Amino acid sequence: MHLKDYIDLYTLLKGDLSTRQERRTFGLAHEALTSRPLSLLKAWVDEKMRTRQTEQAGEKVAHLLYHTTLWLTLLAFVTGIFSGIGLLSYNGHAPVNLIYFLALVVLLPLVTMTLALLSMLRAKRARNTLVHLSPAYLMERMALFFTKKEDLLTQVEINPMLLNWIVIQRSQLLALAFSVGLLLALLGVVATRDVAFAWSTTLQIDAAAFHRFLEFVALPWRSWLPTAVPSLELVEQSQYYRLGGTLSKEMIEHAAALGAWWKFLAMATLFYAVLLRALFYLLATWGLKRALKKATLALEGAEELLRDMTEPFITTSSMEKTQRGDVVKKGYGRIQEALKLHYDVIQGWAIPSQQLSLLCEVMEVSAPVCVEVGGNNTLEEDQHIVAQSSGEVLLFVKAWEPPTMDLMDYLEALSRQAESVTVVPVGTEHTEYKPKESDQAVWTDMIAKADLSKVWIT
Amino acid sequence: MKQTETKHPVFAVVGHPNKGKSAIVSSLAMDDSIAVSNIPGTTYRRQSYPLKVDGKIIYELYDTPGFQRARQVLAWLKSHDVSADRRHEVVQAFLNTHRDDSRFHDEVELLTPIMEGAGIIYVVDASKPYGEECEAEMEILRWTGQPSMALINHIDKEDYSAEWKRALGGYFQIIRTYNPMQTDMHQQIAILESMAQLREEWTVQVKASIEFFLHYREQMLERSAAAITRLMHQALSHVERLALASENANEDDKARLKERYKAYLRTEERTTQAEIERIWHHEHLHAEITPMGFEQMDLFSEESASVFGLTRKELLISGATTGAVTGAGVDLLFGGATFLLGGAIGAVVGGVGAYVAFDELSEVKLLGKRLGKRYLEMGPMQNRNFPYILLGRILYYTVMVAARSHAKRDSLTIAMDSTFKERWLDEKVQKSLEKYHKQWRSGKGMDDEMLKSYEALIEKILKKLMEEL
Ligand SMILES: Nc1nc2c(ncn2[C@@H]2O[C@H](COP(=O)(O)OP(=O)(O)OP(=O)(O)O)[C@@H](O)[C@H]2O)c(=O)[nH]1
Ligand SMILES: [Mg+2]
Repeated sequence: MHLKDYIDLYTLLKGDLSTRQERRTFGLAHEALTSRPLSLLKAWVDEKMRTRQTEQAGEKVAHLLYHTTLWLTLLAFVTGIFSGIGLLSYNGHAPVNLIYFLALVVLLPLVTMTLALLSMLRAKRARNTLVHLSPAYLMERMALFFTKKEDLLTQVEINPMLLNWIVIQRSQLLALAFSVGLLLALLGVVATRDVAFAWSTTLQIDAAAFHRFLEFVALPWRSWLPTAVPSLELVEQSQYYRLGGTLSKEMIEHAAALGAWWKFLAMATLFYAVLLRALFYLLATWGLKRALKKATLALEGAEELLRDMTEPFITTSSMEKTQRGDVVKKGYGRIQEALKLHYDVIQGWAIPSQQLSLLCEVMEVSAPVCVEVGGNNTLEEDQHIVAQSSGEVLLFVKAWEPPTMDLMDYLEALSRQAESVTVVPVGTEHTEYKPKESDQAVWTDMIAKADLSKVWIT
Repeated sequence: MKQTETKHPVFAVVGHPNKGKSAIVSSLAMDDSIAVSNIPGTTYRRQSYPLKVDGKIIYELYDTPGFQRARQVLAWLKSHDVSADRRHEVVQAFLNTHRDDSRFHDEVELLTPIMEGAGIIYVVDASKPYGEECEAEMEILRWTGQPSMALINHIDKEDYSAEWKRALGGYFQIIRTYNPMQTDMHQQIAILESMAQLREEWTVQVKASIEFFLHYREQMLERSAAAITRLMHQALSHVERLALASENANEDDKARLKERYKAYLRTEERTTQAEIERIWHHEHLHAEITPMGFEQMDLFSEESASVFGLTRKELLISGATTGAVTGAGVDLLFGGATFLLGGAIGAVVGGVGAYVAFDELSEVKLLGKRLGKRYLEMGPMQNRNFPYILLGRILYYTVMVAARSHAKRDSLTIAMDSTFKERWLDEKVQKSLEKYHKQWRSGKGMDDEMLKSYEALIEKILKKLMEEL
């Protein structure tokens, strides 16, 4: 995962319309990556980017950042060289005060590395002043400003934590380049000229104390490279009092010995400015990598994308959506308000005769013939009943049972035979045989739909 | 009969019209798009609802139209009487002969999947007395020779299941009761287990489907927790900016900014509700009743605060209010002077909660020039009570949607329940929530790990709420 992929993922997720199914298909095709979310995301980005022709934001931003880094690094390197040469230049009047150089290769790195460590610990903070004060950040801002590329970075919202780490890592790189420049300058100057190193300070420090300090600085290499540690003697010899005006005789005598300082300075530069810094650079690189990972997973939609790709895609619904059957609702003209007392025939659709006679009693109707139709009758039996029916027929139906086509066939046959047929939907004994309104409506609709001329409904 | 071409188990839900076949399929298939209505003949074509995992069908469920001319079909079959072992051939012959006969359209539709190897799930409504008319239907089903079970549904309150069971016993070895209007995983599993028994070679796959259903449900819960987390994160850390035309902001600008800030929060809530509906496959809820339920109870209303918000005392306990509170802070906490008034309103509405004045959600800050413009800024959310209100509302909504049967077609009525808070928010939960709320309030942002752990917390709460149902 690189910054480019992060930005690409960010832009892709913003406009992504892929379905869960498509994502899962992709996930299944890359099943080996299931346990490595970042690789899976990267594979997804790669796949999506392959179909795009134009250069995407990720590419552009990564390109821009790469080039700014490159130029800034070169600049730092060159600055390092010139600073080194400047500090070590020997004007012939006064020897080179190595305290300046020491400050630049020991003190400055130690201070800035402490700051770097602090900003690493606080990298989560969105507006980290430490980071934003870093020269690397300011230089980059300026570089972006002068190249008129500032708006590119505003197009993509990069996670602030990630941005902080980018700046931190970049600072380490620039400092490293600067230090390497210094080291090269030192080596170059030492190789091409004879430099008389001396030390001088206004502070009341005697040679012994300074020596103890230097020994302390040289701690990392003291044991295995003793020649790169100045002896007390050398320290004494190279103390220089500007106020004294001229070089002491002693110093001139030992001019050759004074050059021995260079090994110490080179080791100090190598250790504090270069090696330690390189370590910090590695640390920052590791931190950036982690930040990139965290920022990627924190991208809006990334978690869902991963979930969609790695979880089994379960569906239970139908591919096609159901269509509803048409409901015809029209008024019906043949509605019987009240039942008569007598009918020629009373029939009960799937109502056994015992219940039917009970029903007749409750509804206070009577007829010479009371028979069950439908239900368990065979079709022949029903046909026979129809053939026998004449005059006014009352047909009880169970309101809660929906009218089937079987009944409608029967009704049609019956209406051809009888003078009139009155369909009476009845409820259960719970409701004292009164049908529920909704059931009644279903029956009325059904009878209306069939529209048989002699059929009435209550 | 055609031997099963497909390897996976297939079931056909059949029965008399209007007995809840489609309701049962909706519930088993968690599909709220199926036509369910009290008009008989609603379903007029067979339709398959496969359980698919990564494209592989685990089992298939068919919704079918009800029998319309069962006696006539049976008469036809009987007129071609053969010995019992060859009866299914007669049924097949019936299908072949009547495939284009509109009179037997429904019967052809429902018998086709059965003759292609589907197991039969015969649905009856035991809230109505037993009726003889179903005997022809059961007889036809017996002729198909396919394994079968009966499912007893209760559309109304009355219960005639004793007589139904006696009658069904003559035709079916397995008789189960099922309530499609209930979302109960145990019920669903029990039915699947019965279905697994229908045919030996199906057992493994149908049992596997139980695992998938459990997994599916887990996914839905996880995704809901993720959606809720997203909502909380977006809403609470949101910063609304208003570019100013002039150097100074007037009251109008401030009011405009506040309105926009609120509108953003409302939209976020609604979007998440829709997401929850989608996760639980209740999309039609969205289409039918848009700003559903909470319509009368706006996010920033007094009712909402009193039902879902915390009382002053609870806020103190949670640690939400420790530390120095100065100036506008007091107002942000409780709504300042309106607090007392609010207490009274809260009591009237039925809650015991403190009422929070929502004029004070967050401070309005005037920002310096940025890209040459002056900005007014509001956010992130400073009000201590608002997170609880927002979270309470979305949790409540999620539980309502998740507990809703896919067979329901009426609109979802949200009966406001002021005891809801007590069901999920105890002191411990409140303390852990407050940690996150504080982080959002600070504007420091949250990293992925913190969001993940918040999500886990929400999921735990959701599970607890769902279990209680
Ligand atoms: N209260 C309640 N109502 C139910 C239940 N089952 C079904 N219903 C209602 O009964 C009516 C009929 O349900 P459907 O599922 O459409 O019946 P169906 O058997 O598919 O009907 P057709 O497709 O017309 O053959 C609908 O209004 C459902 O809401 C139940 O268990 N409880
Ligand atoms: Mg149906």
